[in-house]
Amino acid sequence: MTKKIIINPVTRISGFMEIQANIENNQVVDAKTEGLMFRGFEKMLEGRSPFDAVYFTQRICGICSTAHSMASTLALEDAMGVVPTDQGRYLRDILHGCEFLQNHIRHFYQYTIPDFVKLPEDYPLFKAEHNDFRLPKEKNDRLVKDYFDSLDLSRSSHEMLAVLGGKVPHNHGVFIGGITTQATTDKIIKIKSILHYIYQFINNRMLPDVYTIAEYYRDYFSIGGSYGNLLSFGCFNGYKDLGTLYVNPLVYTDGKTSVFDLDNITEEIDYAWYKDKQNVGKPFKTDPEADMSKPQAYSWVKAPRYNNLPFETGPLARQWLTGEYRNGISTMDRTIARVLEARKIALIMNTLLENLIPGVSVQKEYTIPETAVGKGLIDTTRGALGHWLKINNQVILCYQIITPSAWNLSTRSSNGMKGTAEQALIETPVKDINNPIELGRTVRSFDPCISCATHIYTGGKNVNTIQVIP
Amino acid sequence: MSNRSITCPEYKARLNTAANLLDTMKTQIRQGVLKKRNLVWLELTGCSGNIISLLDGSNPDFKYLISQMTNFIYNNSLSASEGEVAMEQLFSVLGSDYILAVEGAVTTKNNGLYNIIGRLNGKLVTAIEAVKTLGEKAAFVIAIGACATHGGVSAARPNPAECVSVQSVLNRKVIKLPGCPCHPDWFMGTLAHILLYGEPDLDRRDRPLLFYSTLIHDRCPRRSYFDKGIFAEKLGDKTCMFKLGCRGPVTRIDCPIRQWNQYVNWPIEDDTPCIGCAQFGFPDAMEPFISYNTTREVRR
Repeated sequence: MTKKIIINPVTRISGFMEIQANIENNQVVDAKTEGLMFRGFEKMLEGRSPFDAVYFTQRICGICSTAHSMASTLALEDAMGVVPTDQGRYLRDILHGCEFLQNHIRHFYQYTIPDFVKLPEDYPLFKAEHNDFRLPKEKNDRLVKDYFDSLDLSRSSHEMLAVLGGKVPHNHGVFIGGITTQATTDKIIKIKSILHYIYQFINNRMLPDVYTIAEYYRDYFSIGGSYGNLLSFGCFNGYKDLGTLYVNPLVYTDGKTSVFDLDNITEEIDYAWYKDKQNVGKPFKTDPEADMSKPQAYSWVKAPRYNNLPFETGPLARQWLTGEYRNGISTMDRTIARVLEARKIALIMNTLLENLIPGVSVQKEYTIPETAVGKGLIDTTRGALGHWLKINNQVILCYQIITPSAWNLSTRSSNGMKGTAEQALIETPVKDINNPIELGRTVRSFDPCISCATHIYTGGKNVNTIQVIP
Repeated sequence: MSNRSITCPEYKARLNTAANLLDTMKTQIRQGVLKKRNLVWLELTGCSGNIISLLDGSNPDFKYLISQMTNFIYNNSLSASEGEVAMEQLFSVLGSDYILAVEGAVTTKNNGLYNIIGRLNGKLVTAIEAVKTLGEKAAFVIAIGACATHGGVSAARPNPAECVSVQSVLNRKVIKLPGCPCHPDWFMGTLAHILLYGEPDLDRRDRPLLFYSTLIHDRCPRRSYFDKGIFAEKLGDKTCMFKLGCRGPVTRIDCPIRQWNQYVNWPIEDDTPCIGCAQFGFPDAMEPFISYNTTREVRR
């Protein structure tokens, strides 16, 4: 007999999401992930100054705002023919690295840990609805302590970012050419010293913590596998002097790694609340409108595809593509890879800091071209992020964004093929149908950002009410 | 006369009552008696950047907030529970004393279905339903960040999700803390005032005067450059950002003296213009954020 599970809200993510799953014999046989918030950034950006995209698009997401400042800056540079110096790239990649650390520390401790560690219940915020907490008291206590201690370190990550970025969330530093201000020696040493303590925390606390969880929840190495198609746009790569410090644009499918080719990206809207002339399109060649009355649709998240296939993107994909982590693809592997990546990013940042020339100014007075087209593709905290823009009469004619969470939390393809996270839920054993804790754990391993994924454009029409599922 | 005052028991009692009341008040003010109250933090249509900004706060930090200042009941980004149980916990505050903090705008499109925050008894709960239900019964409502206070970026032209402010859907006073995001101190300070002394002094637009009384321009460390007419020509310059489009002259907030993220920096010190994120009308009324020629003289 098929039983239906609905989880809404999926808390401890950024934004709003529902999981629906059909269960037979205590196993998931079908699943849907649904993004439940709509904002429409792409339409908002039309007619604005292209320069403003850098600060404006950061407002898509409060936990990864720097990611959007990176992608929009790259898109503008591409459109304007600006090639940043290596010093400019080091500077802004340091800011980007700070956001990785902030995001990964908060995702691991504040978003993931409450799934596996019993937090003190005298705090109403920490009341859990299940009892699958397996750590012995002593270890559980240690992780609770680290939950609280980690708050100082994620805050410090943002402090580092603000030293060169002015403030955060929504920094002012990342801009065309690199960053706005100059990294003087006092600022470099301030960042270096904060980074030192963050690195120690990651190495001495965060890594042992994730391995402790892995030890007591070994079953999660065989849960949450999905297709094994992995994608990265590359990041911390292709420096003239330093080469690639992390990952180049690569894809992995059927056990083979190959070079990423932009032409293979499409977006499908068969199962998302949009309508267009056709259900599949390329960035810039589509203009979908919202349509909540579409019978088969169930989410605001579209379905980006590479060679018509769903791909996974994020820390595990990157660690796999560079060959640094090849243990497996699962809920637990995804979680471990994120922590390992935090350490990797701290080391990369240190290398970049050591290669800075203090006091270098990379800013010029820039002019917006009359007409231009640009793209900015970069791997960021949650995975592959792309911004595309067209400029006409010196204003934005068209802006499109495909976020990492759109890849990971996508809806089905036209042929009914499930999105990556949906597929990851299939065959998940559910012990207690009234407390299906397994599903949230797997979905959170993708670090979903629904604020990011459901920003897409709608036309001004009113649409019909959706059917409420009883 | 003095005899009567000493002997009349009623007069004596009246004096004592007044003195007792005054003493109690003095003690409370002196000691700053801090009684923990229930706090609910709703996220609506926005980027969830204000809760991240809150986690960036220090002294008081998030740990002090949840252990010493409040019973922090619910937040979508941080609650350990999920699904119906989480929603039940959220709405469990109804009927008790609680403070409601809201970040994000309220989408009105398609009966609010453009933002669903959960399910209760199997039924979808829209953001607008949640904020109305919880907002009417709360002891205080605090709108946090640009989207909640006036629509902000979520309501930017052409406002695709038909977003409005929290005030637009509530017929009661809403304390407003604009900013994109809201500085953690602006929220913590406002909350502390409520806990210790009640509602803080507000301006005509319900912003606490403690933070929003003075223009950035009036306290800008680069003000002397403005007065002397020395203006930056590009980002990264160390002089007045006015001609690059700085909104400091129209933005009432304390960034120049407070600064951000452990008080290490702020946008103008980062050699960029203020973009007016703490002023009503952001972003549309504050654009373009960056321009190289706002009032430039033509030099030959």
